Amino acid sequence: MNWLIEWAGYLPQLMSGLGVSLMIAGVSIVAGYPLGLVLSVMVQHRNLAVRTLGLAVVEIGRGAPALVILYLFYYGLPKFGIAFESITAACLALIWNSAAYSSEIMRAGMQSVARGQHEASAALGLSRGHTFFRVIMPQGMRSAIPGLMGVAIQMFQGTSLAYAIAVPELMKSAYNIGSQDFNYLQIFALAGICYAAISMPATWITVYFEKRLARHA
Amino acid sequence: MTLSEIANGKLAPRTGIRLDNISKRYGDHLVIDDVSLNVEPGTVTALIGPSGAGKSTFLRCINLLERPDSGTIQVDHHTIEPGKVINAKDLAALRRTVGMVFQSFNLFPHMSALKNISFPQQKVLGRSKEEADERAMQLLERVGLKDKAHQHPGRCSGGQQQRIAIARALALDPSIMLFDEPTSALDPEVGLEVLAVMRELADDGMTMIVVTHEMQFARDVSDTLVVMADCRIIEQGDPRAIMSDPQEDRTRRFLRAVLER
Repeated sequence: MNWLIEWAGYLPQLMSGLGVSLMIAGVSIVAGYPLGLVLSVMVQHRNLAVRTLGLAVVEIGRGAPALVILYLFYYGLPKFGIAFESITAACLALIWNSAAYSSEIMRAGMQSVARGQHEASAALGLSRGHTFFRVIMPQGMRSAIPGLMGVAIQMFQGTSLAYAIAVPELMKSAYNIGSQDFNYLQIFALAGICYAAISMPATWITVYFEKRLARHA
Repeated sequence: MTLSEIANGKLAPRTGIRLDNISKRYGDHLVIDDVSLNVEPGTVTALIGPSGAGKSTFLRCINLLERPDSGTIQVDHHTIEPGKVINAKDLAALRRTVGMVFQSFNLFPHMSALKNISFPQQKVLGRSKEEADERAMQLLERVGLKDKAHQHPGRCSGGQQQRIAIARALALDPSIMLFDEPTSALDPEVGLEVLAVMRELADDGMTMIVVTHEMQFARDVSDTLVVMADCRIIEQGDPRAIMSDPQEDRTRRFLRAVLER
């Protein structure tokens, strides 16, 4: 039972790390998803310039590993006189990441809306704007909900990357504790449990929503 | 009040439509081959024929859901040449004049029945919410679905959804209504309630073009029967005359197949 007492001793420090992780994940979702919506509209836009710009932002965000973007923000931008604190850099990189991924899920959701909805809108004489924002988007966003929840879980797990620029999040806290008494196995196992304790119920909720939406489709 | 009086607030300005030499191809595949049709104001035209004949495509060419490659469409002093550039004003005028009802209803699933009917009025005709809602309620009552006003389409039967869809189209005061196999997705009994609404609309003098497999309806309600086969109109005229004495062999074969079923 000794290890349980040890674990209990680690917890306060781990919890503060977990709080930072959740905060970064929260910021990347709250700021990233609206940005993702804007990007999803841009990549479907009629205007080539708008579409290209949207595509570039999305493809870089999805194509480059989050860690690369993180390093660019933290180590790269100071070259241009733009310096961020590590936690700000982490948030910005993950906002880009979540915007890029969520935009593709939203776009797929909107493009899955039945063709008859476009036709009915056209036959009624609704403008392109009204058709998109009042008919297509609400339906597309609905079917995007499970996917967006999945990305949210990924974002939470992705916050562990911020460890690489010394943000005091969950991984960093675990590493600090481990380096005091070299009990890495236990402390990282405990950190893993912390991630799972958030991610697994979130996954269950996602599955529940998937089923619910499938039933009411 | 009759359906179209409710729809228009007053009696509809009766409008006909004239289509000349409409052709449409998908790649190398010809789907409409030089079809012309003149629909007099206040008349019902039933469009029948074997599947793949191009009936639905032709109907969808009328309000430009499908863009014909050539031909002209004349409606309400507007002449549209789909083979050329169509200006937005003509397209809007066409869509405002012509209402459409689909086989698969195509109601907006995220809106209540009332909102389905009210929202397009506000956006397309610029009516106030109160006015549009009132009009929507009148139409819902007329198609017998007042109690469904606040239900979403998913909670309505197919026949109810189709009647809501008819109300939605009527709410925009069209002077011509297109029906694309409006009962084909419905059980025969449920189809009857939709046909009853259409009959009433026809009695009110709405100009209607109906693609259908309902021979009874075509015979009793339509003024003109148009038979399409192989991308062309092969026969048209008085429905009873054509049904009892078809001139074309292809028509005879088709009618035998549907009537002797």
